[in-house]
Amino acid sequence: MKKVRSLKDAARDPLAQGKVVRPSRDKPRFAVTGDDVFRLQEVTKSWPGENGFTLTVPELIIQRGEKVALVGFSGCGKSTLLDLLAMVLRPDEAGEFVLFTHKGEELNVMDAWQRRKLDSLAHARMLHIGYVLQTGGLFPFLSVRENIGISRRGLGLPLDETVEDIAHRLHIERHLNKLPGQLSVGERQRVAIARAMAHHPSVVIADEPTASLDPINAEEIMGLFTALTDEYGVTLIMATHDWGKLGERGFRRVEFAFKRDPDQGAVQAKVSG
Amino acid sequence: MNSFQTVIRLALRDYFYERLLSACAIMGLAAVLAPLLVLFGVKSGIINTMSDRLIQDPRNREISPVGSGRYGTDWFSAMRDRPDVAFVIPQTRSIAASMILYNKNSTNPRTLVVSLIPTAEGDPLLEIYGRISTKNTQVVLSEPVARKLNVKAGQRVLGQVGRSVAGVKEQVAVDLQITAVLPLGAFSREAAFVRLELLEATEDYRDGRGSKTFGWTGSARPTGPRVYPSFRLYARSIYDVADLRNMLMDQGLEVYTKAEDIETVKSLDRSFNLIFSLIAVVAVLGYFASMVSNVLANVNRKSRYLGISSLIGFSTGNIIWYPMLQSIATSILGFLTAVILYRLVETLINGLFSDYLSTGEYVCRLSVGHMLIALVLTLTLAVLASAYGAFRVSRIEPSEVIREV
Repeated sequence: MKKVRSLKDAARDPLAQGKVVRPSRDKPRFAVTGDDVFRLQEVTKSWPGENGFTLTVPELIIQRGEKVALVGFSGCGKSTLLDLLAMVLRPDEAGEFVLFTHKGEELNVMDAWQRRKLDSLAHARMLHIGYVLQTGGLFPFLSVRENIGISRRGLGLPLDETVEDIAHRLHIERHLNKLPGQLSVGERQRVAIARAMAHHPSVVIADEPTASLDPINAEEIMGLFTALTDEYGVTLIMATHDWGKLGERGFRRVEFAFKRDPDQGAVQAKVSG
Repeated sequence: MNSFQTVIRLALRDYFYERLLSACAIMGLAAVLAPLLVLFGVKSGIINTMSDRLIQDPRNREISPVGSGRYGTDWFSAMRDRPDVAFVIPQTRSIAASMILYNKNSTNPRTLVVSLIPTAEGDPLLEIYGRISTKNTQVVLSEPVARKLNVKAGQRVLGQVGRSVAGVKEQVAVDLQITAVLPLGAFSREAAFVRLELLEATEDYRDGRGSKTFGWTGSARPTGPRVYPSFRLYARSIYDVADLRNMLMDQGLEVYTKAEDIETVKSLDRSFNLIFSLIAVVAVLGYFASMVSNVLANVNRKSRYLGISSLIGFSTGNIIWYPMLQSIATSILGFLTAVILYRLVETLINGLFSDYLSTGEYVCRLSVGHMLIALVLTLTLAVLASAYGAFRVSRIEPSEVIREV
């Protein structure tokens, strides 16, 4: 992996924004798919009942290295879509739901759910997905170093300088031997970001990762985060409230159309973008 | 394998990180198990010793014939072969089974007429109280005899038998060594327990016959097997007495048993066993409930971490070991804590009552086998409880728990 200039500079560099950065290790392998990471067609997930909710994804194609922002009000189904993509939530139906990994494999996610190949889905999560929650989600009993390296351990990778390198880029290297409880909320989010990326997944999914931070901290962490995903060539899919600077950071917007069924009081959301 | 190892690592780190809570769970389990161990220690110690003594008490196991009959050697060997018969020995005619004992060593010589009772190796009455006479010239005295003759075990007395042949009074004597004196509780009448050979010789002498064994003169006894008028018989346990009695009555014998005493002891024994079984069932259920609540509390408390582990990509098959390992660790450590507490109490109890116990007797005692049973039971319950916990873990939906506050 090439070392870049200061990450802050990279985050501000207009040339690095607004385009998909493909690192050399990810050679296009899917001529037919145009090197997509996710292809979803006619995917639905609904919860029945009076306050029921239905999410429909007519079509969503996410390309390798892309930065996608899921934009919409609270409760519009952003987290649901993230959990579907992270393969922890089973879709009700899907015309197509495929993950293309950077190792050239094709995982038919819907098929795996239907055949209850839950272990394959779990393994795919560990290999190919990193997930940043809105707050924490760190193990309070593991040091920062162990938290960052948890997926690496699970995959049998060493907790080597990769962990230190990523901690350095997120400015948390001095906290490596502390427990999460000793860190500020902002520092914990940096640890969460480092954990999601330390095993070099294909996709990092983030659910409003800076929503609980003050604007200055949020701005800095978002800059570091996107610079890191750009540099690693990782596809970033992020739910966010912070609509203002998305274009500036090179995000593609995916909107949620939203309507309430007057009869049943149920909410229907439709993804477009 | 890496995944599994990592989950185990998580579980252990978490267990140590929450060591105060883990210690609480361990103590909670030990608090249930330790009194149980003490209870069963007392049951297997003093209660069992006491009920064994009652069940094994030879006085309750004795079956004695009423009146006299004719019992040949075949009858005795048939009885001896029965597994429910602990001991049987022929008894000679009661009118001839007596002897005058003479304490000649005393400054105040005393004589006493005593009944002779046949004994041999395996005699339950003598076995628990003292040594059995192994030689023809040895004797075990009942307490009233020893008191009246003023003799102790180890001393000697002279046994005298008299007869009248054609109007002429004759008398022979045998020097007897006292091997033991039975306590009053064992036998309250005036009697001496001797080998059957001495009894037979005494009977023969009174019939005008001689004995080569003791050098007594007289006519030779007629050939042919001996027939005895009576016997001493002991059942293997009090539970065998009723069957033996029925069998003997079927043979046309009238026998006497201590049926009432036996019924009291039996019902006492049954009540004890019932009470302890009930306590055991309730205690094991309580122990199991305490483990299940422990496991469920753990799974519920850890559901977010378990969901995050799942989100990171650990398989459910691996994640279930997270709470399972913790509850198994709690079970083992709880068991060890309970055993340590039990040992302390055991030492204390046995120390307090040491004055009332003879060597080899304990008020409170659990064998290694009992401990192993307790450990296996603990582990089985722990695995069962954890299996339910594991089922709950497999129901955790990461998307429902990872955003918990």
